[in-house]
Amino acid sequence: MNEDRRQILEMLSTGKITTDEAERLLAAMEKGPAASTAGEASDTGTKTPPKYLRVVVQDEQGKNGRGHTQVNVRVPMQLLRAGVKLAGLIPAPALAHANEAMHEQGIQLDLSQLKPENLEELVNQLSDLTVDVDDDHTKVRVFCE
Amino acid sequence: MIPWMMVVGIRNRKHRVFRVWVPIFLLWLLLLPLVLVLLPLAFIALAVMRVNPFRAIRTGWQLLASLRGTHIEVQDENAFVLVHIY
Repeated sequence: MNEDRRQILEMLSTGKITTDEAERLLAAMEKGPAASTAGEASDTGTKTPPKYLRVVVQDEQGKNGRGHTQVNVRVPMQLLRAGVKLAGLIPAPALAHANEAMHEQGIQLDLSQLKPENLEELVNQLSDLTVDVDDDHTKVRVFCE
Repeated sequence: MIPWMMVVGIRNRKHRVFRVWVPIFLLWLLLLPLVLVLLPLAFIALAVMRVNPFRAIRTGWQLLASLRGTHIEVQDENAFVLVHIY
């Protein structure tokens, strides 16, 4: 009997753990360290980054109440990344104009403070984005895949 | 790698779908001389705007390359439009 098994049985005998818990611990131990490390890897493993941003619109009731409209758009995430990099090339005077226009609209955002790494992070966070809009006849889904 | 092929699909009123494969690489070949001619002008314009021309060209190239995989499909009772970039 190895040390771990003995400890589990001692904890059971002293009432620190229940029989169910002891059984689970022993079962986990029997699976061995290889299984546990594999489990940890799957738990903490990095998610594969999404490749596409999808926009799907389904309108069951078209014009005059008949037919249907479908929109299916798939945009590569790389395109979004390249797009935000392009935003980094906007000359300072143009940014100042854009800031001014946004302030007039009540949006307190300074575009000159946006760095490429911030924008990159913004795009990366889109992977968790899911927008579902359900109407009686219309469904809109925006998600990453 | 920049896109080399595009599929454009259109459905007419008789509900016939036409799919056209457009070889974009031929377009790039046709545009190449024009780009080479306009490149010095673009460099000057970017320098005047105080934008790093090399960075701008690299970003433009990345933008072009990332178009691959773009898929746009819109259909309703009367029309159908499909654009897919390979």
